[in-house]
Amino acid sequence: MRSLRLFAALLAAAVSFTAAPARADLKVVTSLPDLAAVAKAVGGDKVEVVALALPTQDPHFVDAKPNLALALNRADLLITAGLDLEIGWLPSLQLGARNNKILTGNDGYLDASRFVSLQEVPTTAVDRSQGDVHPGGNPHYLYDPRQGIAVARGIEARMSQLDAKNAATYKANLAKFTQEVQAAQQGWEKRLTGLKGAPVIAYHRTTAYLQNWLGFTTVAFLEPKPGIPPNPSHIAQVLAQGKARKVKVVVKEDYYPDGTAKLVASKIPAPLIVIPGGTDFRNGQTYVQRIELLVSRLEQGLAGKAE
Amino acid sequence: MSFLPRRNPRALAVVLAVQLSTSAAWAQSSPGQTPPAATETPPPPAEAAPADTPSDAPALSAEEMAEIEKALGSDASTRARPSGDTSPVSPTATNDSGVTPLRLPNAITGGTSFLNLSFILDLAVAAFSSKEPLQGGAHDPTQNGFNLQQLELSIGSVVDPYFRFDSNIVFSQFGVEIEEAYVTTLDLPANLQVRAGQFLTRFGRLNSTHPHAWDFVDQPFVMSRVFGAEGNRGLGVEGSWLTPLPWYVEVIGSATDAKGEATARSFFGSSNERVLSPLDFQLTGAVKQFFPLSDDLSLLWGLSAATGPNPTGYRNHTSVYGTDVYLKFRPITEASAQQLVLQAEVLYRRRQAPEDLLSDWGGYAQTVWRFSNRWATGVRYEFGTPAKTQEGRVANDPLDPEWIADRQRITAAVTFWPTEFSRLRLQAATDRVGWRATPDYSAFLALEVVTGAHGAHAF
Repeated sequence: MRSLRLFAALLAAAVSFTAAPARADLKVVTSLPDLAAVAKAVGGDKVEVVALALPTQDPHFVDAKPNLALALNRADLLITAGLDLEIGWLPSLQLGARNNKILTGNDGYLDASRFVSLQEVPTTAVDRSQGDVHPGGNPHYLYDPRQGIAVARGIEARMSQLDAKNAATYKANLAKFTQEVQAAQQGWEKRLTGLKGAPVIAYHRTTAYLQNWLGFTTVAFLEPKPGIPPNPSHIAQVLAQGKARKVKVVVKEDYYPDGTAKLVASKIPAPLIVIPGGTDFRNGQTYVQRIELLVSRLEQGLAGKAE
Repeated sequence: MSFLPRRNPRALAVVLAVQLSTSAAWAQSSPGQTPPAATETPPPPAEAAPADTPSDAPALSAEEMAEIEKALGSDASTRARPSGDTSPVSPTATNDSGVTPLRLPNAITGGTSFLNLSFILDLAVAAFSSKEPLQGGAHDPTQNGFNLQQLELSIGSVVDPYFRFDSNIVFSQFGVEIEEAYVTTLDLPANLQVRAGQFLTRFGRLNSTHPHAWDFVDQPFVMSRVFGAEGNRGLGVEGSWLTPLPWYVEVIGSATDAKGEATARSFFGSSNERVLSPLDFQLTGAVKQFFPLSDDLSLLWGLSAATGPNPTGYRNHTSVYGTDVYLKFRPITEASAQQLVLQAEVLYRRRQAPEDLLSDWGGYAQTVWRFSNRWATGVRYEFGTPAKTQEGRVANDPLDPEWIADRQRITAAVTFWPTEFSRLRLQAATDRVGWRATPDYSAFLALEVVTGAHGAHAF
C-alpha cells in the first residue's frame, strides 16, 4: 500500500513537471554554446535556448546522450554549426528525437554555416588520409564577430519565419546585437593590432576565421593532420619552424591537452594562449562577453602575461 | 524541460504519403549541407597555407626530443576522443552501421549523394588451446590462424519526408547475407516511431548492435546460447514510443518471425513451423531509461522481455527476461580523454518443454577504461548456468545437450585506435567450461577498419 502511494506521488510529480506551462514562444536547441549565445541574443525572452555541447567539450566528440534527444524532441528549431562538425553525434540524436520539424532540410533545421563566408574550403578532392578534414570548409567560424553577426542575421530570418508574431522583436534584438558587436569590434581590433602579420602556431585548425579577422598567419599546427594527435617528429618540425619564423604566440583551445603546447611555447619561446573553446552559455555568458574574453586572453598573451 | 511537443496533425497522413516520394531529395539535402563538388582543377587546398618548410628546420638536440616525447605522453591522457559505439534510430539503440556516407563520385550522383555507403572490415588472427573452441558468435574468430570476421556493407538513406531506409549486408568469405534491411518512420505523431523489415530486436544493450560497436572481439556466449550466432533478429515490425516524462523513457515493442537457428534458436529455431496465429511470432518488449546523473556521469538502464513459441510441443513457449545497465563516466567539464564504462546484462530464460519447464541464467559484466586518447583496456566476465528442471535438477537441454554444468569465461583486452576509423585489439580469454576436463584458452589480435564518411556515435 505504502509503495503504491509512493508510486502515485511520483507519477503526480512527473505529470506536474511535464505539464508546466510553456512560456517561451520558440524552443531552440543549438549544437554549440556559441550558437546558443547568438540565438539567445536574437530571440531574447521570446525563446528558450538549450545548447547540447558544453564549451569545455571538443565539439567534434560529443556523446549522443539520450537526454539530449529529449531536448530535441521538444524543440521548434535546431541550429547547427554544420560543415560536418557535429556529424559524429548529432544525426543519431536528430533521428532519435522523433521530431520531424528539426530533421535536416525542414524549416526547424538551420545550418548556420550557410550565412558565413567560408574559409579553407578544399578545392581539391579530399579523403581521410588528410586527417579529419571538413569537405565543406572550416567550421570554427564563430571566433570571428563579423561571422557572428552574419549568423545572427540568418537566425533572425528563420525565427521570424517560424514565429511571425514576434518578428518585430527579433528584428529589434538583431539590430541591438549587431550594434553591440560592431561597437565592441573596433575596440577589440585596436587592442589586437599587435597581432597583425604575426606568425602564430595553433593546436588544431581552429584559427582560420580568427586570422582572417585579426590578420595574423598561422604558420604551423601542433596536430600533424587535423584530428591526428601530435607526434614527436612533427613537433620537432613545428618547433624548428616556430624558431625560424619567430612565432609570436602559441594558441590552443581549453579542451585540448596542454603539455605539448606548453613545451613548444617555452622552447620557441613564445607565450601560450589558452582560448576558451566556447561561450559559457549555461552560466549566462553572452556572445560579446565570450569574444571579449577571447580578445583579452590574446591581448594578455601578446603583452607577455600568458599563463 | 517545460514544454510539450507541438505536433503537426498532417503527420497522420503518412500512409498516403508514398506518392510524395519524388520529393525525397528535399528530405536529405539542405542547401547548406551540400558538399562542395570536387573541381577538376587542383590548386593546393587553402588549408595548406602554412607551408611546411622542413629544409630550413634546425636540428633539435636529443634532450629536446626526449622532452617532446614526454609532453606528448602526458597529453595523450587528456585529449577527448569519441567513443567507438554507434547508433542511429534512437540514441539508445546503437544498432546501425554508425558510419556515414562514402561520397559517391559526382558522375553517379550529380553532386548530391542520396545513398550513404560504408564498409566495415573485421579481421583477426586467433589461437585456441582447444581443438573445438566454444565460440558461438557468427562473427567470432573460430579457428587457429586468420579469420575474416565479417565485411559489412551499410547502406542507408532518407527515402522521402516520411521514411528512412537502413541496411546492413554482411559478406563472409563464401556468402552474402542480409543482416538488416528496414524502414524507419520519420514523421509519426505522438513521439512514435515504427521500424519495419528485417532488424535486430532491441532486447538488451548488445543485441541490437553490430560487431564494430562491441568493446570485445567476440560476442558474449549468453547471446549466442539464447538467441543464436547472429543475435536476435527477424522480419517483423517494431513500434517505439518516447514518453513525455521529464527524463528519457523509451518504450519499445516488436513482433518478429520466430524462426532461424542463428537468430531465434530458443524459439522456433531451425524447425519449419507455420505461423498460424499471432502467438507464433516472437514478441519483444523493452523499456530504456536514461539518467544524466551529472555532466560527467550517465546511466542507461534497460528492461527487456521476449516471448515466442518453441517447437517442443503444441503451444509451448519460451520467454526470455533481461536487464542491462550501462554506466559511463566521461569528464566533459575539463579537458580529458579518460572514460570509464561499466556494462552488464543478465538474461533469464524459461522454456516450456513436454511436461517440464526449463530455466537457466546467463550474463556478462564488463568494464572498459579508456585511459588515453588512443588506448583502452577492458575486462569481461561471463557466466551461464545449465538449464534446470522445475525440481531443480539439471535438465536434458534439447538445444545444448552438452551444457550440464556452469560455464564461465574471463576476457581481457587492450584496444588501440589510430583514428576513430580503425582499431587494433589484443584479447585473451580463459573459458572455464564445466563439462570439459580442462579450461580453454584463447588469444586474438584483431583489426577493424571503417570506411565511409564519418558516422554518428551512439551513447
